[in-house]
Amino acid sequence: MLDGLVSLGHAYLALLLSPTSLVLGLAGALTGILVGCMPGLSATLCIALLTTLTVKLPANEAILILVCSYVGTLYGGSRSAILLNIPGTAANAASCADGHALALRGEAGRAIGIATSGAFCGTFFGVVCLAAFTPTLAKVALSFGAQEFFWLALFGVTLSGTLVGNDPLKGWLMGALGLFVAQIGEEGIYAYDRFTFGLPAFSGGIALIPALIGAFGFAEVLTRLADPVERKLLEMRDSIRPRFGEVARYWRTVLRSGAIGVLTGLMPGVGEDSGAWMSYAAAKATTKEPDLFGKGSIDGLMAAETGDMSSIPGHMIPMLALGVPGSAPSAVLMAAIIIHGIQPGPMLMVEHPHFAYDMVAMTTLATVCILIFGLYLVRPLLYVLRIKHSVLMPIIFLMSVVGSYATAWRLFDVYAMLAVGVGAFFLRRKGYQMAPFVLGLVLGNLLDKSLRRGLVLTDGSMVPFFTRPICIAFASVTIFTMLLYVPVFNRAVHRVADAVISPLKSLVARRG
Amino acid sequence: MQSSNENPGLNEAARSAGSLITPRSDFIAALGWIAFGITVAIGSWNMDRLENQDVPPYAVPGLLPFFLGLAVVFFSTLMLARAWRQGALAKDAIQAAGMSMAERKRFLIVLSLCLTFGIVLVGHGLPFWLAGAIFVSATISVLQYPQRRAANQVVRGIALSIVIGLCAGFGVTLVFQEFFLVRLP
Repeated sequence: MLDGLVSLGHAYLALLLSPTSLVLGLAGALTGILVGCMPGLSATLCIALLTTLTVKLPANEAILILVCSYVGTLYGGSRSAILLNIPGTAANAASCADGHALALRGEAGRAIGIATSGAFCGTFFGVVCLAAFTPTLAKVALSFGAQEFFWLALFGVTLSGTLVGNDPLKGWLMGALGLFVAQIGEEGIYAYDRFTFGLPAFSGGIALIPALIGAFGFAEVLTRLADPVERKLLEMRDSIRPRFGEVARYWRTVLRSGAIGVLTGLMPGVGEDSGAWMSYAAAKATTKEPDLFGKGSIDGLMAAETGDMSSIPGHMIPMLALGVPGSAPSAVLMAAIIIHGIQPGPMLMVEHPHFAYDMVAMTTLATVCILIFGLYLVRPLLYVLRIKHSVLMPIIFLMSVVGSYATAWRLFDVYAMLAVGVGAFFLRRKGYQMAPFVLGLVLGNLLDKSLRRGLVLTDGSMVPFFTRPICIAFASVTIFTMLLYVPVFNRAVHRVADAVISPLKSLVARRG
Repeated sequence: MQSSNENPGLNEAARSAGSLITPRSDFIAALGWIAFGITVAIGSWNMDRLENQDVPPYAVPGLLPFFLGLAVVFFSTLMLARAWRQGALAKDAIQAAGMSMAERKRFLIVLSLCLTFGIVLVGHGLPFWLAGAIFVSATISVLQYPQRRAANQVVRGIALSIVIGLCAGFGVTLVFQEFFLVRLP
């Protein structure tokens, strides 16, 4: 405990006493806000492009830029949600209804001020949880064996498929596709080439960063440029000062949304938008003014912004402690951390005991940065929203090509990015979500190695996969969730539930 | 969460004009997924089992891909059954709305420009700044052509797009290659 506090203190001091770090943090946050402002450009794309840009920097400086840009992108996304009614990132969709309604009433500045204060409080709440829970979870994870990691990976992909989007079947198909794509190339145990069709270029596999740039960058370029309509930007005339008075007034909403954001962040692959939507729904269920929701509710906007921002540090907790990212942006962040020679997972606190605290300090700096930019740079930043898609998107594609090529210097990665992008464009139109695909791609190797290592350790017996305590919990939730979509099983579950609940209901009614 | 038999809204939603997702489109997609899953499962089953290296059957490289293939077949069969129950094969089944003519035209233009840049222009001898400038200028010129023609500003539009293209090409090269020492294609 005391060691942890000392490490945290060192991390803060090292960051605050380094002017370079402060400048890089501000630059990262500003880049993130600019990218987040632009509808369609996601945090995933921003971090992926910045990963290639910062690949030659020292590890801590590069990761600081990425963390600050991550926080900045989600914060910046509220701008276009409020002023254009188009969420800058998926996580800001919940802010559209109330934020844009306030802007239509001529209170755009107030809405942005509320978004700033909600974002600051949410991220700060999440940072406290990040500092408190990461070391503890990492210690628990040290007891995980191959069987636990197998179920954890499968649980993550299943949960992501279930909760992201409206159709779990499509989510699971995308998760399975991601897991399959991760199997392409030389496998990690016997160095055997799988699904390479004898082509040497495929042996290296489909790298994560080019695939993500394709799924989130090129697919978005195609989507935006295929649509000839440009949205009209609303004017902002009132004050954009953050409303900390309203934070005090809605303190229950802030605390509740912060906690919900962190909890959703802990779930693998669920994404920041779930934190925002769940916080929004909880605020609507508990408010005294539910009729105002969707029509400019301060409570609603505060809940959405606090929930989505607090889920960022929440996503970092399983990413650092278990090596299982909580969202697509944190998956890229994890890939970047690995590129810089640090392996997230249970051994992190053993091999790099200070790194988790460095991440806490970096996220704190990012929180302060968004407050600074929220106070002083709102109006100039809005000029970004006036850039036409037909100008912006070709430049984004140019950077996407560079980003795909730069990590491994392989033209094959550029072709992979193009192929994934075209596929993602058509799949997204048919209601398939990219988050489960990304998680599958990230966790595919872990799942494969854990399954085969687990079986080798038990001489081919599957029994430990279902009898070890943590495995029982993960396996039951994963299998039960999937089987609920088999009509016969679903009907049986409903029959059992009715048989149990009906007598209880009648008993309660009689007592009442 | 919605279970497969608790999703009656999809059919009604599909009946609204312009829906991209209909029971029929899901049915066709499910057939594609089943074919994909079977191919993966067969490919994994036929994969080398490395018996000459004394690899036990439960550790062969094709083990997980085989189960993934089966999982894809399982989920897509559920999707197929759901789409069928929702009337995918009914005579009056709604067809998924495709892109409008204007949207399709823009999409094909953008796709060809991007593929030409990514496959032909990049990495085959042309300096990156020049390839980038050509791509950005051409894309902006083509996409803004209808508005520029309507405003009688075609030449101005082309000149502006060349300036933007050169700035983008030089800017990206300068930032990535010179400032951050990243190697460009």
